Amino acid sequence: MKISFTLNNKKVSIDTEPTKRLLDVLREDFKMMEVKESCGEGECGACTVLLDDKPVTSCLLNIIHVEGKKVFTSEGLSKKFLGKLLIDCFDETNAVQCGFCFPGFLVTSYHYLKTDGEANLEKIKVALSGNICRCTGYQKIFESVMLACLRNDSTGGKS
Amino acid sequence: MKNERKFDARPKVIGTHKFVDDYHYDGMIYGALIYSKVHHGKIRKITYPNDFKLSEFTIVKLEDIPGKILIPEPETDQPFFADKEVFFYGQIILAVAHPNKNILNNFVKKIKIEYEELSAITDIKETLDNKENTFGKQIIIDHRRNVKVEKNWLKTHSVYYTPHQEQAYLETQAMIAKYDEQNEEMFILGTMQCPFFVKEAVETILGDKIKSVQVETSEGIGGGFGGKEDFPNLLAGITALLSFKSKLPVKIVLDRSDDITITTKRHPARIEVETYTDPQTNKIRKMNVDYRLDAGFYQTLSPVVLSRGVLHASGGYNIEDVYIHGRLIRSNTPPNGAFRGFGAPQAFFAIESHIEKIASELKIESYQFRKINIFRKGDEFPSTQKISEDNLFDCFESIVEKSDYLTKYEKYKKFNQTHKDKLGIGLAIGYHGGGYTGNGEKVLDSEIKIKIDKKAIVTIYISNVDMGQGAHTTLAQLFSETIDHPFELTNVHIPNTKICPNSGPTVASRTIYIVGNMVSDLARKIKKDFGFDNLKNFVKQNKQIFPKEFSAKYKPDPNISFDENTYQGTGYKDYSWAACAVELYYHADTYQIELLNCWSMLDIGHVVNPKIAVGQAEGGVLQALAYGSSEFFYKKGFGRMHGFTDYTLPTTMDIPKLFIDFIHTDNEIAKGLGEVPMDYPAPAVRNAFFNATGIFIDEIPLIPETIFHAMKKEKKL
Ligand code: FES
Ligand code: FES
Repeated sequence: MKISFTLNNKKVSIDTEPTKRLLDVLREDFKMMEVKESCGEGECGACTVLLDDKPVTSCLLNIIHVEGKKVFTSEGLSKKFLGKLLIDCFDETNAVQCGFCFPGFLVTSYHYLKTDGEANLEKIKVALSGNICRCTGYQKIFESVMLACLRNDSTGGKS
Repeated sequence: MKNERKFDARPKVIGTHKFVDDYHYDGMIYGALIYSKVHHGKIRKITYPNDFKLSEFTIVKLEDIPGKILIPEPETDQPFFADKEVFFYGQIILAVAHPNKNILNNFVKKIKIEYEELSAITDIKETLDNKENTFGKQIIIDHRRNVKVEKNWLKTHSVYYTPHQEQAYLETQAMIAKYDEQNEEMFILGTMQCPFFVKEAVETILGDKIKSVQVETSEGIGGGFGGKEDFPNLLAGITALLSFKSKLPVKIVLDRSDDITITTKRHPARIEVETYTDPQTNKIRKMNVDYRLDAGFYQTLSPVVLSRGVLHASGGYNIEDVYIHGRLIRSNTPPNGAFRGFGAPQAFFAIESHIEKIASELKIESYQFRKINIFRKGDEFPSTQKISEDNLFDCFESIVEKSDYLTKYEKYKKFNQTHKDKLGIGLAIGYHGGGYTGNGEKVLDSEIKIKIDKKAIVTIYISNVDMGQGAHTTLAQLFSETIDHPFELTNVHIPNTKICPNSGPTVASRTIYIVGNMVSDLARKIKKDFGFDNLKNFVKQNKQIFPKEFSAKYKPDPNISFDENTYQGTGYKDYSWAACAVELYYHADTYQIELLNCWSMLDIGHVVNPKIAVGQAEGGVLQALAYGSSEFFYKKGFGRMHGFTDYTLPTTMDIPKLFIDFIHTDNEIAKGLGEVPMDYPAPAVRNAFFNATGIFIDEIPLIPETIFHAMKKEKKL
């Protein structure tokens, strides 16, 4: 079955089984290795991408549901202003450990910055609650997102 | 003390840093492991589905092994594959490979294995309670000093239990093997902590069918925590065998459910503690500890976990007369393995719980009681090793102050008198010996190499991996700081057994403590030998000398010794010390605890990169808090847990505020950090609950079921 969608701003289409997971389409057919699989059951958020501007776990989504929609991966977002800002903040705080969870965190934090962006710890925690990190204890991830919110504010929300 | 940024942070966030599943080789096929779904049984029949072309598949079993069938381990007793009998749920029976992942998965699902089931030991508590299940070498530390027990001394006795814990690294176990038939060479690429162990395993399984084995780690290693210390040996062996047979590159990536079912976990423990305390002085005078670990069916590296366990088993207290008996217990479960802490978290849970019990029986505040008995300079371990510093005491005093323990303790006592829900604050202390136990580092005989090129770019060659702990950045920083060379010009080579010397495995909190200090020493030696002030200028003026390689071997301290038979002597040359306070809220209606705050004070000596160190400590503390409060594993038998939906990890919503601080950072030596944060938080949770409710709990995790049963036992329900 032919499925067409927008991937990181590019129009793409693919002939595939409609039940193939979006995660597998991205990794296998489009070689987008930044989308990680860890649990395969929607629990960890390592495979998070933006689908029509909302974070979704691509391991639970069949490609048929992506028809005509817009998909962004962490790499796609890394080229945007807020993506760059977040990467700077994760880097500066030395928040990143094994890194396997981080592309997912980038996508979810990007969405938070874009849709709310208040430097509010409780809100950030809720926003990131679908992403698991086993290495960091989360503190430095909060700190990074907080920092990104503050900096984004001071640029007048240039996004 | 600089916060250099990690080399690999940016590509990791973007996602371009490569983990095993991100590598591809031409002609690569995919492998899968088929394992036992019974706890014990004879294999009657294996039937392959007949709607597949069998010739398209590569299948390997025990009889396909050209070399030796046992995986090299401290105790070499586990075969790569089961033979005619399986001994635990998850034991690998065969492995299959095929070019198409979907076909492979369908085929694997349809393979039918019939068993004649036999009796199995799978209930964790029953297994540990039964001395008959003991196997392997037992360890005794005899520090009895003929102390006569007086009639008025308080005898306190209790048995403590700790469960399995899953490492839950986010990148599952994964391996690629690439056989070069022409040169009879095997190349392995994988996610692992110990490339040279993996090399040995592959050499073992292939024997003389192969001339050389080269092992390299993937660019990124998605977490290890000990879980990638020994399982990769098994996985690499089998992947290599598939590649050898098919003559094609083979990749195996476990899915989460297979990973959780068949890989190593933290050892469940049963620790029985008996103490005699003089009520006049409030000093513990005598202690007996029976320390048991459930090893699973094979010993593998459990003897080494046991040896660390017994050396930490009497906790951080000075007791004149101590007797520790350690043993392994066999059950029909997968072999347990390394996990951050390595036997010590179990020990500290028991001892730190027990201290509260004695204090409550003596009717004194546990803070006072700890203060009276805690290690001070000049005291000694049961191994007779002398305590050379007051740093544990300093950690303890400063945590009491930082957390405002004494005020809160009194305040919550009052609050709890009038409220159904309760508030509690609890203390615990811990420590961790750095590096291999006893003479281990001498035997390892680690080597490092440093290359300086014509542009003064420095590359450090070691076999220790960066699995997220930031070791490579920290090592480069150590070199750069020691001789004031730009950090940007200092790199660490990706571990590869052909290119890098064997600086030992990435375990035992030894990468910075042992290898890092070797790097600093070698940097100093290079500077001294050439007599330069500035390496960059020196290279510029002496281009003809470069590129040049330098190497160094680990130099054991000739003044220390350890007797492996009696466990007397220096167990570890240096210890990292820690103390902690945990504050919680108890919801009486739901039997749930909510962690509010956790303060840690650590002495790890010189802190090379504070942000990296704090991050690593926070991660360890959270794993330990979850070990004590929420992570819940099998109680009976394996195979009923499938992934992160039933093994639940803490999310951003489940965590307290974590405060990490370091003390005595003016030390020249950078001591171990990887494990110590895992050792003490779990008992602090338990102790906070005890102070909140007065209910004595002798096991973790403190999930509602555990609390409910404890209350029933104490007839508080
Ligand atoms: S892999 Fe998709 S949520 Fe874990
Ligand atoms: S950094 Fe390793 S899982 Fe988050």
